[in-house]
Amino acid sequence: MENISQKKVKDPAPLIAPFKMNLWLFMLASSMLFAAFVSAYIVARPDAEAKQLWTSFDLPIYFLYSLIISIVSSVTMQLATQAAKKDELARNKGLIAVTLLLSVLFCYSQYLGWSRMVMQDLTFVNARPEHISASYVWVITVLHFLHIIGGIILLAIAQVKAFRLEIHKKQITFMSITNTYWHFVGLLWFILYLFLYFAR
Amino acid sequence: MKLTLPKNTFNSLTKKLLSLLVASIAITTSFAQAATDVIAPPQEFDPSGWNWLNILLCLLILLIVLVIARAFDIGSLAERITGKKIVSSHKVNGIIALVVLILGLIGVFWELSAHSKYLLLWDAASEHGESLDSMFMWTFGFTFFVFIVTEVLLFFFMFKYYYREDRKAAYFFHNNKLEVIWTIVPAIVLTFLVLRGFNVWTKITQTPNEDAQEIEVFAYQFGWKARYAGEDKKMGESSYVLISGTNPLGLAVDTEADKLTTTLTGEVAELEAKVAAADDSAKVWRAALDKMEATGLNKTYVSEHKALREKVLDAESGAYVRQMKKEIKRKETNLKRIAAFKSKPEIFNKESNDDRVTTEIVLVKNKPYMFRFRARDVIHSAYMPEFRAQMNCVPGMSTVFPFTPIKTTAEAKASKGNPNFEYYLYCNKICGAAHYNMKIKITVVGSESEYNTWLAAQAKMVAPAMEAVPATADSTAVSPAAVAAN
Amino acid sequence: MSTSALHADHHTHDHHHKESFISKYVFSMDHKMISKQFLITGIIMGIVGMGMSLLFRLQLAWPDEQFGLLEMLLGKWAVDGKLDPNFYMGLVTIHGTIMVFYVLTAGLSGTFSNLLIPLQLGARDMASPFMNMLSYWFFFLSSVVLLISVGVETGPASGGWTVYPPLSALEKAMPGSGLGMTLWLVAIALFIISALLGGINYISTVLNQRTKGMSMNRMPLTIWAFFFTAILGLLSFPVLLGAALFLIFDRSFGTSFYLSDIFLEGVGALENVGGSPVLYQHLFWFLGHPEVYIILMPALGITSEVISTNARKPIFGYTAMVISLMGISVLSFIVWGHHMFITGMNPFLGSVFMILTLIIAVPSAVKAFNYLTTLWRGNLRFTPAMLFSIGLVSFFISGGLTGIYLGNAAMDIQLHDSYFVVAHFHLVMGSAAIFGMFAGIYHWFPRMYGRMMNNTLGYFHFWITFITAYLVFFPMHFMGLAGVPRRYYQFTLVEDFNVWMDVNKLITISAIVAGFAQILFLYNFFVSIFRGKKAEQNPWQSNTLEWTSPIDVRLHGNWPHELPTVYRGPYEYSRPDRESDFFPQNEEDPTAPEVLHVEEKEVAKEEAPVENSVFFAAIKRVFGLSR
Repeated sequence: MENISQKKVKDPAPLIAPFKMNLWLFMLASSMLFAAFVSAYIVARPDAEAKQLWTSFDLPIYFLYSLIISIVSSVTMQLATQAAKKDELARNKGLIAVTLLLSVLFCYSQYLGWSRMVMQDLTFVNARPEHISASYVWVITVLHFLHIIGGIILLAIAQVKAFRLEIHKKQITFMSITNTYWHFVGLLWFILYLFLYFAR
Repeated sequence: MKLTLPKNTFNSLTKKLLSLLVASIAITTSFAQAATDVIAPPQEFDPSGWNWLNILLCLLILLIVLVIARAFDIGSLAERITGKKIVSSHKVNGIIALVVLILGLIGVFWELSAHSKYLLLWDAASEHGESLDSMFMWTFGFTFFVFIVTEVLLFFFMFKYYYREDRKAAYFFHNNKLEVIWTIVPAIVLTFLVLRGFNVWTKITQTPNEDAQEIEVFAYQFGWKARYAGEDKKMGESSYVLISGTNPLGLAVDTEADKLTTTLTGEVAELEAKVAAADDSAKVWRAALDKMEATGLNKTYVSEHKALREKVLDAESGAYVRQMKKEIKRKETNLKRIAAFKSKPEIFNKESNDDRVTTEIVLVKNKPYMFRFRARDVIHSAYMPEFRAQMNCVPGMSTVFPFTPIKTTAEAKASKGNPNFEYYLYCNKICGAAHYNMKIKITVVGSESEYNTWLAAQAKMVAPAMEAVPATADSTAVSPAAVAAN
Repeated sequence: MSTSALHADHHTHDHHHKESFISKYVFSMDHKMISKQFLITGIIMGIVGMGMSLLFRLQLAWPDEQFGLLEMLLGKWAVDGKLDPNFYMGLVTIHGTIMVFYVLTAGLSGTFSNLLIPLQLGARDMASPFMNMLSYWFFFLSSVVLLISVGVETGPASGGWTVYPPLSALEKAMPGSGLGMTLWLVAIALFIISALLGGINYISTVLNQRTKGMSMNRMPLTIWAFFFTAILGLLSFPVLLGAALFLIFDRSFGTSFYLSDIFLEGVGALENVGGSPVLYQHLFWFLGHPEVYIILMPALGITSEVISTNARKPIFGYTAMVISLMGISVLSFIVWGHHMFITGMNPFLGSVFMILTLIIAVPSAVKAFNYLTTLWRGNLRFTPAMLFSIGLVSFFISGGLTGIYLGNAAMDIQLHDSYFVVAHFHLVMGSAAIFGMFAGIYHWFPRMYGRMMNNTLGYFHFWITFITAYLVFFPMHFMGLAGVPRRYYQFTLVEDFNVWMDVNKLITISAIVAGFAQILFLYNFFVSIFRGKKAEQNPWQSNTLEWTSPIDVRLHGNWPHELPTVYRGPYEYSRPDRESDFFPQNEEDPTAPEVLHVEEKEVAKEEAPVENSVFFAAIKRVFGLSR
């Protein structure tokens, strides 16, 4: 069977790189996951409120810091991608490094936020029955954090690739995928933060 | 179709398998025939009662099947020899389709005539049930018509248009007029059904008038309890933290709450003592285990040895203490919650004291009722098919279903011609091993006085000292069955 | 530098070095091999699922009988040959789970999406073969975990396939809610990952990898069905994952998402307050209802293809078929509440769900009528695949009609969770989908294995299965109408239900006969793999592209030279301007118009060609994908 296709054939190129397409679809799926949690929050709230088992609490200020960090890191990531498109490799490397740094800062800020919640008795497994709202905040933030971890891995790979000169004008796919994904997790945090802030 | 296969083994095996299959089908079908013969009344499985005509029929079917198989076989053999097609499998299948269609239609109508007497379609025992039944009949009329027409067409087409080499299929791929028609017509019919359904549904679920009597139905693994308000006509408050052996519904009754508090406090103290002595117990158990292993008794008492070993490991790893502490925390939370409840005068206002918890539901004909459902542990569903009523019972959530019974148990017995008939409320949401045996009797009586007699016989949550004696005496004298018979 | 060029090179390279056994048969990245893996695993799971149903049918028909065989088979779960009630619940649960997820989702859609999407679209392979392989192995792992869960000490998960909490959340509520339930959740989580990996791949391939000329309006209806199915899965499975996560948290960490105010016998009052068990039902059925269509739509797609090919006639109303698939897909996301009419939800919300539910009947009706019209004046070749497709149409109609009762909130009060429901969904999504699967297997067996299955055995298999399926499920409607609840271990304790004992026996016997018939199929299937007659290149004289790829060799990359070019739609059968009664999609004939307009009184005269319709114009514009 192996010797059937002797001559090389050039197949028509797909419109969109498969990896990129898959990423978009993955983002769609994971948006649905968060949509599920958000709707669960909306559905569960009135019931619990009726029984006076729902506490509205202010989100830790660190979550807002995270939001600002994620916005800034999105900007740096965008700049990094544009630098790569223009073959400004040094700038690209530097900006990826900045984004990576910011992403770590984001994690630290989230960590501080969670610690603050624990200090206020707003634990995942409710220390007090009326803190069921805290469980939701925990689930949503931790799951988002897992997405961030994925983003950091992508960023780290991009950084390595950048140092190996594997990211440049003609080999931009990985960079643009990382860029898209990083914007996605940033946007996700933006929406989730706003939701948790206004629906608290 | 040709049966030409490279190896003969496949063929002979096929034949053997087919005959095995046919034989097994024949046997099982005759069982089935025998079973359906005795369709009513229910009877023991008795081979002597078999209808031999049916068995003969089975044999005939078997013969036909074998002949068809043989025809295919000979046909394919002949085809292989002559190289020409002899048996058209298309034609055979077309004919089978026609036969199946006719037999199927006969079967459908037989089923309708044989089983319709057991269906709950024409004698709803509740007011809203009648509108529900009429709606059912409308839907049935429409769907049955569509069912017959489409299935007949489907099988008739199979027969009419089976493959012939000299024919060519018609070439057409759409027809907007036709498509619009069969989009619009179902849409109109469905709109009609939806509007009707909407009306009935709104009527059923709307809040009933004020004078509807409230009955609480309480579901637990695996049984039901009902609660009736006492003389004050008010249902007292209740909470799951107050549930105990003597207070199965967790009613807000001072004495019960105090009793439960005492019990729980005692249990907590006991557990704390266990925690304090945990190190010592671990040593004692370890010694016992060592002794057991040293004497070789662990060979004879395998399961005891295993249990002891697990206990020792738990004690030594600290899992035992953690478990105890968790229990203590749970019980202390309970105690706190009970105390919090007790401090609320609007809950512990003695309204529960005269409530009656019963193991049977008694209703009065033509009186509106509001059923309120609670569940203790998992989701159950209160299903009263005769009354066309069903509602889930969800822990932590109170659900309601209003209805008015319009037929007494005695009337139902008469109309069904079954003196043993009783109304029941079944559990209809999977809830555990004994789900299938979770039911409570509903008795509909004709007059308020019968109901009052029955209710008076039921014990109150807190029995007043003076009335307690006659009440129990009454309960033995007037059994619910006697009430129903009246 | 596009990765796709690399991709194509990669394929051509592949054929030069020999593949090892592992990379060829085990961790294969060839979509054809993966589809076979899905099929075989699906069949094995199907045997287990069906076997389980026979066990509990035995219990229902002869509740007082003792079966020594059962004790031999199940040990402590059938002491004295009588099935244990807890294990009965476990069997019901695992039967449902296996059939819904493992056989009819992965076994059906996994098999045929994998096989047909690249072959019918003219692609070398899936968009991402590696993900495709992962998808199978997650599914395999998930199957193994589920099967292991049946054997654990405390029994398998036993709260019904919907595993409603609190029953499933509390270990002490029933034995099956212990380790068995944990394993069930693990299995489902793995399954969701598999379904998502697969779904992403299918969508990506359909949108991205079509060959030259294969515009979306020339795609076979199978592909449309798989495409919508994948979208449904992509959007709904994450929600199930969310529901399962909450359940895991409640079970293992002590949170209270679903739990509130519970007193458990033998334990006491639990601490959990504030949660809502109904929340789980909302999340579950948000997946659960699309899941029904995830099961059914591939079967409908396969049926469209098989019926058109074997009726030697264009499928009637291609556009209508696609639109109805799309309508069903969209509507399936907003009707989940009809599973919850009697949970105490707001009655007004109930009305809304009722209206939406009954709307979904319209596109379904259109599909049924279109199948009928396709058969009308056709030249029907009764291959086993064709028979199974027609059987599907029959089940789809009978089962679909009872949906009109159940979608009606008022009637659902009476029929909810009764045997009527069991009859309804076993016909419309159980039997119908499994018939679609059989149709697919018989039809594409030559494509998969290069050999033919035995037709005579196929006929016996079909007629016996078809008749027994009706004998099993048709009487159940009547039981439901008599108020017999489902998931009851035995009916003898309720006098009213005793009249149904004989019907129960009839059902069980029919089920056993149906079981025997499946042995026939298995025998035919497995023997034909090795001994079947060698298949011709295009045994059914079909138009679609999968029959142009060499059938007698296994070729990773599907076509030895360049990919075929498509010139017309897939259902141009019996064209009056052609001598042969089929016209392959890739056959170039400049003299023949793409669609022939025949002047006939039944056929509307001045219809715009399919591809110019508003719908396709919109599709083209939205995706920008016309070629």
